[in-house]
Amino acid sequence: MHYHFDFSFLAESVPPLLEGLKVTIELAIAANLMGLTLGFVLCLLVMSRWAVVRVPAQLFIEFFRCTPALLQIVWFFYCIPMMVNVFLDPVWMGVLALGLNLTAFNAEAYRAGVQAVPKEHLDACVALGLKPWQRTVFVILPQALRNSVPVLMTNGIGTLQQSALVAIVAVADLMYVAKTIATQAYRPIETYSVVALVYFALSLPIARLVHVIERRQDLAHQR
Amino acid sequence: MLQSTMKIVPSSVPADDPVDTTHAGDFVQLQSVYKSYGENLVVMDHMNLDMRADDRLVVIGPSGSGKSSLLRVMMGLEGIQSGSIKFQGRPYIHGADSGRSKRIDGKLQRQIGMVFQHYTLFPHLSVLSNLILAPVKVGGLSKADATERARTYLARLGLESKLNAYPSQLSGGQKQRVAIARALMLEPKLMLFDEVTSALDPEMVVEVQNVMLKLAEQKMAMIIVTHDMHFARDIATRVVFCASGKVVEQGAPHEMFKCPKEARTREFLEKVLHLD
Repeated sequence: MHYHFDFSFLAESVPPLLEGLKVTIELAIAANLMGLTLGFVLCLLVMSRWAVVRVPAQLFIEFFRCTPALLQIVWFFYCIPMMVNVFLDPVWMGVLALGLNLTAFNAEAYRAGVQAVPKEHLDACVALGLKPWQRTVFVILPQALRNSVPVLMTNGIGTLQQSALVAIVAVADLMYVAKTIATQAYRPIETYSVVALVYFALSLPIARLVHVIERRQDLAHQR
Repeated sequence: MLQSTMKIVPSSVPADDPVDTTHAGDFVQLQSVYKSYGENLVVMDHMNLDMRADDRLVVIGPSGSGKSSLLRVMMGLEGIQSGSIKFQGRPYIHGADSGRSKRIDGKLQRQIGMVFQHYTLFPHLSVLSNLILAPVKVGGLSKADATERARTYLARLGLESKLNAYPSQLSGGQKQRVAIARALMLEPKLMLFDEVTSALDPEMVVEVQNVMLKLAEQKMAMIIVTHDMHFARDIATRVVFCASGKVVEQGAPHEMFKCPKEARTREFLEKVLHLD
C-alpha cells in the first residue's frame, strides 16, 4: 500500500468537527434523559397488573427492539411529518427516534433490575408490616435501580454510537460533518479514523466505569 | 452435640411447672386450617394446633409436611382456603375459597415477627437503617427513639459495632442475628423462625441459636421450624411433628425424642437422628 497519510487538512476542519461533536453530544444527552425517565415509566406500565396498560407497553418495547434503529430514524423523519403534519427540527426528530428506542431498551433494563430483587425481600417487607407502596419505594426500587445501573449505562453508550445514524437524515452531527469533510478532501481514511477515535474516547471511560460498578456489585453479592 | 455445652434453657421441664401438653392454649389457635396449591398439593390438611403464650413450639417433619406453610400462613404471607386462626383469643385469619382473599387482622399481624431461611436484610440500607425502617414508617416511632431502640437490641446481640455496616460486610451468622434484631424492633408477641440456620456455615449456627435461646429465656413465644433436633430439644417447650399437612403427634421434647407414640414419628426421628 503506497498511501501517504496526511492529517494536515484536518487542522482547518477542527471548527466544523467540533460543531458536529456538539450536536452528537447533545443528541446523546437528550436521548439518554428521555430514555432514563420514559424508560422507567414504561417499565412500570409493563409490570402493571392490568393488561390494558401492560399489552400496549409491551408492544411498544417489541416494536423498538425488533426493528432496525436506522429504519426507526428514517421512519420518524419521513413518516411522522407526513402523517401528523408536524415538522420538527431534524435534531429534535433525531432525539425523538433515538430517545424512544432507548426508552424501550431501558424499560427492559429496569424490569430486569426489579426482577433481580429476591422474592424473600417481599416476604420480609410483609413481615415488617410495610404497606405495598412502602415496599416499592423503600425496598424494591432502590435495589432495582442499583441493579439496572450497568445496563442503563451500556444502553446509554449504545445510543451515543447509534446517534451517528441520524447523519442519514441530514442532521449535522459528528458523523455528518465527517462525511462532508471526507468527500470534500478525498481523505476518507484519515477523517473516519480520527472521528472513530473521538467516538471511542467519549465511550471508553463510561464503558470502564460500567466494568468497575459491575465488579463492585459482584463482590457485594458474593458475601 | 454443640448445643449441650451452652444450654441456657433447661431441656427437661422442672417438676413444679409441668407443661401440660393436653391443655389447649388460647394464644394461638388453628382450627381445621386447610390450604392447598391447586387440587393435588395439600399442604395443610385441616390442621389443628394450640399454643400458649409461654410456649416455644418446634415444628419438625419431612419436607412437604406443611411446617413452612404453617409459618407463612401465620405471618399472613399466604392465604388459606378454609378454617380459621385465632391469635391472643381474637379472630386473626379466616379461610376464603379462593385461597387468596385471606381476611387478616392487620393489627394482630403486626404483633408477629418472622425470620427467614435466606438473608433478607435490605442490601442498600445500613444495619441501622434496616432496623429502624419499619418502626419509623409503620410503628410511628421517631427516628431518634428508633435509633435508641436499635442500639439496645444490637448491644444485646453483641453487634453494636456493626450499627453503620452494610449487610455485605457481615458474615452469614451476623446477618441472621441482625435479621432477628430487625424483627424484634417492632416488639412482637410471637416470633416465627423458618429454618433460620439452614443456609449458614456450621460454625455460624451456634451464634444464631444462642440468640434464640436468649429470647427463650425472656419468655418470648416462638414457633420454630428446624431440622436440628438437638437444638429442638434445647429450646422447645413442645415439639410438634407434622406429616402430610396434619399434626401427627406433639409433646414435651424429652417424651417426643425418647419415646414417640406414633410409628410415623418414630420412623422420621430414626432417619434424622441417624443422619446427624
